[in-house]
Amino acid sequence: MAGKGGIEVEGTVIECLRDARFTVELPNGHHVLAHISGKIRKNYIRILPYDRVLVELSPYDLNRARILFRYRN
Amino acid sequence: MNILRFTAGDPAVKITRVAPGHWHALDDDRVTGRGEATTRPDGRIFLGVDAWHRSVFDRLARAMLADLPEPLHTVVDETDHELVDCWLRAGMTIRRREWEYVVPTDPRVTGQAVPPPGVTIVPAEDGPLRELDRVVRAEVEESVGWSEMPAEVLVRPVGDKWSNYTVAAEDGEYAGLVRVAQLTRLPRIGLVAVRAARQRRGIGRALLTHALAVLHEAGIAAASAEVSETNVAATALFESIGARRTTSTVEMVRHGR
Repeated sequence: MAGKGGIEVEGTVIECLRDARFTVELPNGHHVLAHISGKIRKNYIRILPYDRVLVELSPYDLNRARILFRYRN
Repeated sequence: MNILRFTAGDPAVKITRVAPGHWHALDDDRVTGRGEATTRPDGRIFLGVDAWHRSVFDRLARAMLADLPEPLHTVVDETDHELVDCWLRAGMTIRRREWEYVVPTDPRVTGQAVPPPGVTIVPAEDGPLRELDRVVRAEVEESVGWSEMPAEVLVRPVGDKWSNYTVAAEDGEYAGLVRVAQLTRLPRIGLVAVRAARQRRGIGRALLTHALAVLHEAGIAAASAEVSETNVAATALFESIGARRTTSTVEMVRHGR
């Protein structure tokens, strides 16, 4: 049974923080605190400032997100 | 990892295996957590769990661990303490650590190592490169084993379109190789390998500094690399050319019952 996922939106990484967290700017200018998904982690994909990414917003806190995909710039 | 601390109880979720290797945590019809198991080329199973709540992570991990044959593995950024704690709670232990390095490309920093007499650095040709790759992989398997090597080494077959190879040639055959993956603005040194019988002569250093100098000429200031903390020779090589440790990734394992 498949269910609905969270809201997905593209953004730009503007800062790499400690504890494997990132600040991502959304198209509306809003900043969210994002972690990387397990798939990105397992594939050793490195996230850098200015990377364009797809994030899933937390349904419980719209200031938090998870990075699902990094676009090739 | 994104874990919120609840003050009014944890969400009631149902864990469902939605496809082979894929689990969902459903809160009504909303997916509030995902679990994934993938098998690497060496046969080891690696897990990943994404959850917004600690309790959901625990339930997903429990379901996955119950369904899959052990040993089971995962990789975690060591600075992500919450995620490390989650996997420790699931019964995993830290098996090994990889340092992540930022490697300068400027020859004035790295030094321009000259290959030993009789060795030349040349662009790779497909046939001999595949033979060298086969030999190196067999030598690694007979020594430390691929399970001790960074995953990136495993998953990039010779000839993939994202990698550039440079080789060291001696006596009509390839003695070593360096692979540079240029997927992003920060290229990755994917592999530096020298045949066992040709090691300890500076071939690896010459290959590495040559590849970095090519990046420098292209206007790229730095590359990245992962090195196992137990690989003393590789650690010494990278640090001697000015590479700087940035973070570390730990591989965790839960052994068979």
